[in-house]
Amino acid sequence: MRVLQLQVNGDTLETAAPVHWTLLEVLRYRLGLVGSKQGCDKGDCGACTVLLDGKPVLSCLTLAANAVGHEVTTIEGLAPKPETTSEPALDPIQRAFDDCGALQCGFCQPGMMLSARALLNTNAHPTRKEIQQALSGNLCRCTGYTQIVQAVETAVARVSGKTEPDCAWVAELARDRAQIDSAPNEASPSSTTPGPGAPS
Amino acid sequence: MLRLPPFQLEEPKSLYAALVLLAEAKGQAMIIAGGTDLLPNLKHRLFEPKLLVSLARIEGFVGIELQEDGALVIGPMTPLAQVAASELVQERAPALAQAASLVAGPQLRTQGTLGGNVMLDTRCQWYNQTYFWRQSLGYCLKKDGTECHVVKGGQKCVAAASNDTAAPLMTLQASLCFERLNEKRELPIRDLWSSDGIWNKRCDQDELLTSIRIPAQEAGHRGAYGKLRTRESIDFPLLGIAARMTLADDGTVSDAELCGVALAARPSLVRGVSEALTGTRPGTDEFTSGLESAAQLAYKQLRPVDNVPGSAWYRREMVPVLAKRTLQAAARGDGPVHPL
Amino acid sequence: MSARDQHGLAAPHGEFQIIGKPQRKIDGATKARGSALYTDDLCLPGMLHAKTLRSPHAHARILSIDTSAAQALPGVHGVITGQDMPTPYGVIPWTPDETALAVDKVRFIGDEVAAVAAVDEDTALCALDLIHVEYELLHSYQSPQDALERNEPAIHKNKRGDNVSKRVQLDFGEVDKAFETSPVVIEGDYSFHGSTHAAIEPHCALAQVDGNGLLTLWSATQITHYVHRALASVLDLAPHRIRVIQPAIGGAFGGKSDPFSLEFCVAKLAQITGRPVKMLWNREEVFYAHRGRHPMDMHYRTAADESGRIQSVDAKILIDGGSYSSFGLVTTYYSGQLLTGPYDFPTYRFDSTRVFTNKPPCGPKRGHGSVQPRFAFEVQLDELAVQLGMDPIELRRRNSIGPQTMTVNGQRITSCGFDECLEKVERASDWKSRRGKLEQGRGLGVAGSMYISGTNYAVYPNDMPQAGIQLKVDRSGVVTVFSGANDIGQGSNSMVAYVVAEELGLTLDMLRVVAADTDLCPVDLGAYSSRVTFMVGNAAIDASRKLRKLVVSSLAEHWEIEERRVRLVGGEALDLEDPTRHMTMAEAFQIAEVKHDTLGATGSYNTPTLGGDYRGGSIGASPAYSFSAHVVEVAVDEETGHLDVREVWCAHDCGKALNPTLVAGQIEGSVYMGIAEAIYENHQTNRFGLHAGPSLLDYSMATTLDTPEIKALIVESLDPEGPYGAKEAGEGPLHSAIPALSNAIFDAVGIRLRHLPFTPEVVLRALREKREAERQTASPGNNP
Repeated sequence: MRVLQLQVNGDTLETAAPVHWTLLEVLRYRLGLVGSKQGCDKGDCGACTVLLDGKPVLSCLTLAANAVGHEVTTIEGLAPKPETTSEPALDPIQRAFDDCGALQCGFCQPGMMLSARALLNTNAHPTRKEIQQALSGNLCRCTGYTQIVQAVETAVARVSGKTEPDCAWVAELARDRAQIDSAPNEASPSSTTPGPGAPS
Repeated sequence: MLRLPPFQLEEPKSLYAALVLLAEAKGQAMIIAGGTDLLPNLKHRLFEPKLLVSLARIEGFVGIELQEDGALVIGPMTPLAQVAASELVQERAPALAQAASLVAGPQLRTQGTLGGNVMLDTRCQWYNQTYFWRQSLGYCLKKDGTECHVVKGGQKCVAAASNDTAAPLMTLQASLCFERLNEKRELPIRDLWSSDGIWNKRCDQDELLTSIRIPAQEAGHRGAYGKLRTRESIDFPLLGIAARMTLADDGTVSDAELCGVALAARPSLVRGVSEALTGTRPGTDEFTSGLESAAQLAYKQLRPVDNVPGSAWYRREMVPVLAKRTLQAAARGDGPVHPL
Repeated sequence: MSARDQHGLAAPHGEFQIIGKPQRKIDGATKARGSALYTDDLCLPGMLHAKTLRSPHAHARILSIDTSAAQALPGVHGVITGQDMPTPYGVIPWTPDETALAVDKVRFIGDEVAAVAAVDEDTALCALDLIHVEYELLHSYQSPQDALERNEPAIHKNKRGDNVSKRVQLDFGEVDKAFETSPVVIEGDYSFHGSTHAAIEPHCALAQVDGNGLLTLWSATQITHYVHRALASVLDLAPHRIRVIQPAIGGAFGGKSDPFSLEFCVAKLAQITGRPVKMLWNREEVFYAHRGRHPMDMHYRTAADESGRIQSVDAKILIDGGSYSSFGLVTTYYSGQLLTGPYDFPTYRFDSTRVFTNKPPCGPKRGHGSVQPRFAFEVQLDELAVQLGMDPIELRRRNSIGPQTMTVNGQRITSCGFDECLEKVERASDWKSRRGKLEQGRGLGVAGSMYISGTNYAVYPNDMPQAGIQLKVDRSGVVTVFSGANDIGQGSNSMVAYVVAEELGLTLDMLRVVAADTDLCPVDLGAYSSRVTFMVGNAAIDASRKLRKLVVSSLAEHWEIEERRVRLVGGEALDLEDPTRHMTMAEAFQIAEVKHDTLGATGSYNTPTLGGDYRGGSIGASPAYSFSAHVVEVAVDEETGHLDVREVWCAHDCGKALNPTLVAGQIEGSVYMGIAEAIYENHQTNRFGLHAGPSLLDYSMATTLDTPEIKALIVESLDPEGPYGAKEAGEGPLHSAIPALSNAIFDAVGIRLRHLPFTPEVVLRALREKREAERQTASPGNNP
């Protein structure tokens, strides 16, 4: 058993845990910060991603003791303090995930959003490929990643003051394209655009 | 969830303190760097050390330094992400930067270190499993058992060196500094590996890797890394090939080399590659036929077995393809080759 | 079906305010903040932790179990074995062949044998090591062929003494004659490998017995009601003394549909120890629990005339069921019954046999039982198109069944937007100008499919409603919806909120949804068979309209106007003809409460009598069918066999998109899952009968970088019986992604892949065989 003084989401928290506990176990079962999820036991899924000094790490493969002295950010610490009492505050990434339908079961998303936050902290205008790269250590089984990537792009656009792409785009995309494509003699907008991941 | 076994943990702040702890532990301790390999292995009960000596707080273990003679010296705790992003490494040892950029996924590259990747335990589909799983088939030669499930009747463990960075470090002729209390030695990485999959390194488990030195490469150095894996992220290599090439002032190849990993217990250099390519000029038919010869040499010499998951037949068929494409990438000055 | 079950397509007030528009989910912000509580996030005072001992043998008789040392370990509070809960159960009541813990035999590596509750997980794990089990090893069946050929030792006892789990043979029309008289016949073998759900949240359950003896179970289940019934039976406890609650759930996809061992174990251990008990399975245990996609070996014959009209289909299917029945009876029917749409053909036969093997049990995975036959048949249709020299989209169009029709096996098709689906993917992919004209190695493929929106086959026979909704009104204007349905991430709680808000003119922040709690909510049969939007949506309309009637009539009386002038919209009630007359819904509810006393309403849905008049005719009979068409674009690296799936267009007829954002998400998730299982995933056992790689490292699920660009195209055929015309969207769009990929590979490089998965190795071998065959044909030495 070891007494741990952890810096979590701006607070200094003291707790005691067996030495062989991971940061994930201490966060979840000692500090009550259950927003960090456990999916694979051992570093294969990314659901337990937290930020350590701003960088994404897997808390299931981080010894709790090793986290002492570092600033830990969990999903509970992602949202800023509310500016008014009536409107809860959300990080632009959280807001965009909600708007874009990126939260289906929601289980992988705390880790996903923290990976996205780490990306945007170092790269405010990532390309789609860079977003996919940055999130490639976080498995999602619900969304097919499409609305997740759209959400990150939406968050980027909103922070930059652009209105497009925006959440409405996500849904209208599906419907509008269907209508546009039904129009006779209309060239498909996607026909000339190569997808990502061209073979090398 | 899958739990770690109980152990004691020390987090020394100095190299000396670490060496003292390791000496006092008399082989009962294990060294933990980034933990991304060791902790899953502990959760699988592949090791049950009494003590873990963490390198996380040792001062001076993180960093990439350019020395006067043009060598790069990299601290063992330098995160793989930092190695991959380093302009120094990208310029002077591009194959290493590329290999580091393809280890696992983003979070594991933040946590995982270059030293840890060099010292990675060998991997095998019959070994990197839980205690329950291994128990169900009577364990294996590498851990707790007597039978090899890869090679029928095999008496020697064939678990594979699966460290992406080992291949480029081999072609770059890196040397490693190992320390023990009152003892320090420099070991060329080419002398590090043994063919025993149980412990594939010619160093003791309590010797501490304290730095990785990459000598200055010749002018005209090119390098690339190619990786075969199932997915484009997270996975260990099913095959990794590093290429080194030197182009003379006239643009012809003056030297070339290939090294493969995820084959057997040690990374394997391919013999005869330089002879096949020297004197040819990239973009010419001679170069293309030299590539074919080099690829065939690799095909003959690198023979994957069914140690890591996936088909050994397919991995072998990909040897010449990956060899050729990685050499091409090196000649062009790009890469990595991934996906194939 | 009664009047309550059909509500028309129209908005309650002319134009839809909420329905059909992108909306946030009601739990979206909660999930975004990481504050949704999943089962393992719950913690009760004095809670114990439980672990399961599993069989290391694939097939063995249990000779003895000695738990005394485990019982004696300090910190251990309870140890149970199969003898503590010997009552067999099964999600299908006709095939109860599972027990909470093995009673006399173990049937696969990972089968549950004993469970321990202790002060913490480490202590529980130590206790497991102290349990001594003596086994007598039995022959282990690792292939369905072996299980068919050999009867002894039988995996389960049955009257026939064999290893057959279920066989269904059904004939519709004169199949043999159709094959004799048709000019074109395509015949071939196809196979589908196993895959699993791999929801990111592992299974978890927590039980507590309170001072009154009420047992409460919190569980990551997608069918609360069946868990409730199974617990009552196995624990021999009156159902009214059991409450089952589903907290937020981290994905399911069919993998949390059965009652599972851990649910019984925590309940029993809570009873024994008098303390709350939680069990969280690790990832490896989730792989053993499985219930995933059944591997199938399929032989198909299709007969057609020269114009491409299908005359007959004849299928013989061998299904590897794994070690228990699970939903296998239904799977066996579905493997044949769900194939007939979206096409119209006059004769059909299938002969499906599910056998037991000593492997993790298979069950329902997204597209239950029908993804595999759909793969085989849609590839065979592509072969037919090639043989006839016909565009494969045109071939499908020519056979399309259309709305208000009946399939050959007696399934009633109401709405059908299949033609529109074909047209949409054809246009979006620029099919006509690009197919056959792409560079070497690149190709386009198409496939179509149909799926159920719920089934009229309740797993236990009863005439009660299949879905129920209860509304409770607060004087603040808040309406609380009590819904039995399980929100598994698809958004069913949001869906009922949208419906009730639309009907009662409320804003979404005036809705609360309480769901999947057997004490608080009316019975719903759960999140399976794509039934929730259709059935629960209808029940929500039913309840809302009853409540609306009370409110509208009260206001009409209050304002002394005709009811038709009263509008409830945007949180307000108003008089259409007098803009000065309006009030908040809170006030409106209060006026109604004065008149009608405490307000509330219930709503229900039940299916009409459906299905062919033959044994099994109701299995696969659905009140509505969804339709999908996919076009896949692939680039094949002919040197490596690597597939680069560039883009997938999926047009899906969901009837009406109640929230297009969520529908698009279901389509995209389905496409991802289909493509991923076709290329990367393989749930298989090795030569020891042991799961080949029970981890999220070895079981490769596609990452962001491995997932193609997915273009979801929504088709709205407006089903006459669906809520506002809606049908399912969560399972249908998976089906034809896989055969469309195979067909695209054929278009790209001319290899016909009939056997999944399409690993680079499989592709490379096929390419080499093709090149070898071409060389031999070209070589003059072969023609002496």
